[in-house]
Amino acid sequence: MRRTFEFSRVAAGIWALTAFASQAAEPPVAAVAFIACPIARDTGPDTDLCFIAEKDGTRYALVNPPDWGVPQLKHRVLVEGRVLAGSFCGAIMIEGRASVLPEIDESCNVVLPFDGTVKGSAGGVFNSGSPQQRAYAQDLARRASLDPSLSVQPAILDPPPLQPPQPPFEARTLTITYPFNSDRGPGPDMIKLKELAAYASAAHAKRLEVVGYRATSRLANGDELVETPSMAEARARKIAGIVHALGISDDAIRTRWESDAVAGKGDLDWQNRKVEVTVTP
Amino acid sequence: MTTFVWINLAHCRMKHSRSLVWSLAACTSIVIARLVFSATADASDPWWKAGEPRIMPARADYLDASGRVTVVHERGSFQTKGHPFFSPIGSNGRACITCHQPSDAMGLSVDTIRRRWEATSGKDPLFAPIDGSNCPSLPQADRASHSLLLDRGLIRVYLPWPPRRAGAAALQPEFTIEVINDPTGCNNDPVYGLHSAVPTISVFRRPRPVANLKYLLELPHGVPPADFLFYNDKTLLPINPETGGFATLQLMSDGRDLTPKLQARDAAATHLEARQALSSEQLQQIEDFEKSIYAAQGFDNTGLALTGEGAPPGLGPEALENGAPARLGNNPINRIFGSFAMWQKAAVAEDATAQQHQQGLFRESVARGADIFYLRRFLISDVGKYNDKGLGNPFKRSCGSGCHNTLLMGMDLAPGYMDLGLNNLPWATPRPDLPLFKVVCDPSAPAQSYLGRVIYTHDPGRALITGKCIDVGASMTQQSRGLAARAPYFMNGSAANLRELVDFYDRRFNIGYNESEKQDLVNFLSVL
Repeated sequence: MRRTFEFSRVAAGIWALTAFASQAAEPPVAAVAFIACPIARDTGPDTDLCFIAEKDGTRYALVNPPDWGVPQLKHRVLVEGRVLAGSFCGAIMIEGRASVLPEIDESCNVVLPFDGTVKGSAGGVFNSGSPQQRAYAQDLARRASLDPSLSVQPAILDPPPLQPPQPPFEARTLTITYPFNSDRGPGPDMIKLKELAAYASAAHAKRLEVVGYRATSRLANGDELVETPSMAEARARKIAGIVHALGISDDAIRTRWESDAVAGKGDLDWQNRKVEVTVTP
Repeated sequence: MTTFVWINLAHCRMKHSRSLVWSLAACTSIVIARLVFSATADASDPWWKAGEPRIMPARADYLDASGRVTVVHERGSFQTKGHPFFSPIGSNGRACITCHQPSDAMGLSVDTIRRRWEATSGKDPLFAPIDGSNCPSLPQADRASHSLLLDRGLIRVYLPWPPRRAGAAALQPEFTIEVINDPTGCNNDPVYGLHSAVPTISVFRRPRPVANLKYLLELPHGVPPADFLFYNDKTLLPINPETGGFATLQLMSDGRDLTPKLQARDAAATHLEARQALSSEQLQQIEDFEKSIYAAQGFDNTGLALTGEGAPPGLGPEALENGAPARLGNNPINRIFGSFAMWQKAAVAEDATAQQHQQGLFRESVARGADIFYLRRFLISDVGKYNDKGLGNPFKRSCGSGCHNTLLMGMDLAPGYMDLGLNNLPWATPRPDLPLFKVVCDPSAPAQSYLGRVIYTHDPGRALITGKCIDVGASMTQQSRGLAARAPYFMNGSAANLRELVDFYDRRFNIGYNESEKQDLVNFLSVL
């Protein structure tokens, strides 16, 4: 699990970089939307793998937000995004999403060996968590180097408990986006969902509305990829179940979903695969 | 010894704070009990018979394959007569202690099982027909009828099909299951099999050690939102019916029972064939005992003392007793089991004896093994419910930073099941002695990410509880302590010893450990 935590930090850094590049590069050069085999690249003995995909002789880096889902060999990916300036993993950066498609494709099985051309990265306890957590870990590392008995003390402090939400309470909305045909919400959004549930409880919210959507992705070649009809409902019901388990009464929860898939335009279609959670005090 | 007493007094102060007088009295008695009853158990007959009137020592050493395992009962010694963990409360003469022997780190080794067979000519309640044999319908006097227990340490676990928990309606499974090979005969048995009046699937699993439970029962720290959601698919963790909070699922390989009390109740009805439910008082006694037991290797025949001054701080049961549960350990400070730096360069005097030289060499090997465990990365690929849970396929990690990341314990901290390849073909070690099932998943169900919708498996694992295709063959990682006392390894006993365990990983993930590295890993694992 820690593995993901670490990777998430690295991915978060890369994600922040792409977001920054996105702001810096205007207007976006081009939108891409295609399906391809992901290719894993080994970046060295002590660093993480990175993933790319190739389309018409051009290689694109596949970077998602933390815990949104890293590409998988044995499965193709749906790549959707806008081309950015700069490169990562030896490929062109894009701002968007890479969704793992569920069906197995044994032909997707290439790992590029480490050749020293791409600089890898690896997360760690000293560059993750809050400033207080990092400072504690640094200090414990120093003390444990002098006294090894400290090496079995937890290196990661629990974060302080969240301060109870305070009035005035206003309407708040959280939007969670999903990989294609998936109802797995990423960890950071689930943490925000927990915070939103706490907010709703503190506000004695009259209503917490959950609305699920499914969408169509329009590919560059004109093909359209439509999510399964049940996906909007599955996303909505899952989120509603979570907020209920987090203490929101069924009476306050309104759950609905849009049966029709949102039409694709070939640009930013991934943003339509979502759930919106709105708290009304 | 002074340090030992001080540590325990400090520990007591935390646990008994209702009044200073009570606290001092209680803790003094515990410390005295520990001093009086700390002992090395009689090596000639470590077997603890159900109902035998014995004292559970506060601290005791038991001989094992490479030295001695140490078991600590943090509440001090006590007379076990009448205690439900030690009493044959069922109809077949077994007690909890039968399969959770202190000499075996509160698990059960195949060496112990064989000795028991020899000593009793197979008459010990351990070999009860219900699950101590390959199938109750077999001739019980024959050794062959108990081959899975005697050869691999496996207990028959029989589960209803379709999945159904006590008091609940049967689930509608996402797959059909067919018996392809049935060497025990039990899955095709007219009374006990899949097509009997009470359709049942028999799989064969190792008993897990009942020790160090606080690490299994506390929700994980530092890995949000895994304190309320499964990491794999972000579904909710189940609710602990006793607390109303979320449950960790670390207790059992398939998660079918969430708490020690539920597990005890289930085990009494099945393994012990109890005809009456345990009382709430008995369940509480069992839970209290189980939560007070810590077990780890305490002495190595070559490396000698594993605890005390100059020893790695994570070794021995006291480290577990005093440690913080449910924490991530895969970082440069914790290194999962704490530092082994003090053994990296053993200081051996010029006039040292041969034994001292061997001790130094062994300790250096253990330290190298720790480094390999923690640092040596490899490509983890095609592990169902692992690579597909957001991590990517492949995912490059070491043993410690991959799946065995819990501080001091070495199981996966986030509650999640995975198909390592122990049960499912093509990765499973060939096991003609185990049943083989063919699972065919419904086209509408999410498929297992790397095996698809047709899966051949020796044990569907978690899927026998959930009925889900993606759970076929998946199980929960388990703790890595007291290993030397409880071979064989893995849930189906496929690794007869630690070397076979290392070989499995090396083969499964094409790691390429050399012979020296394999031995270093074996030595490292043997001292945990």
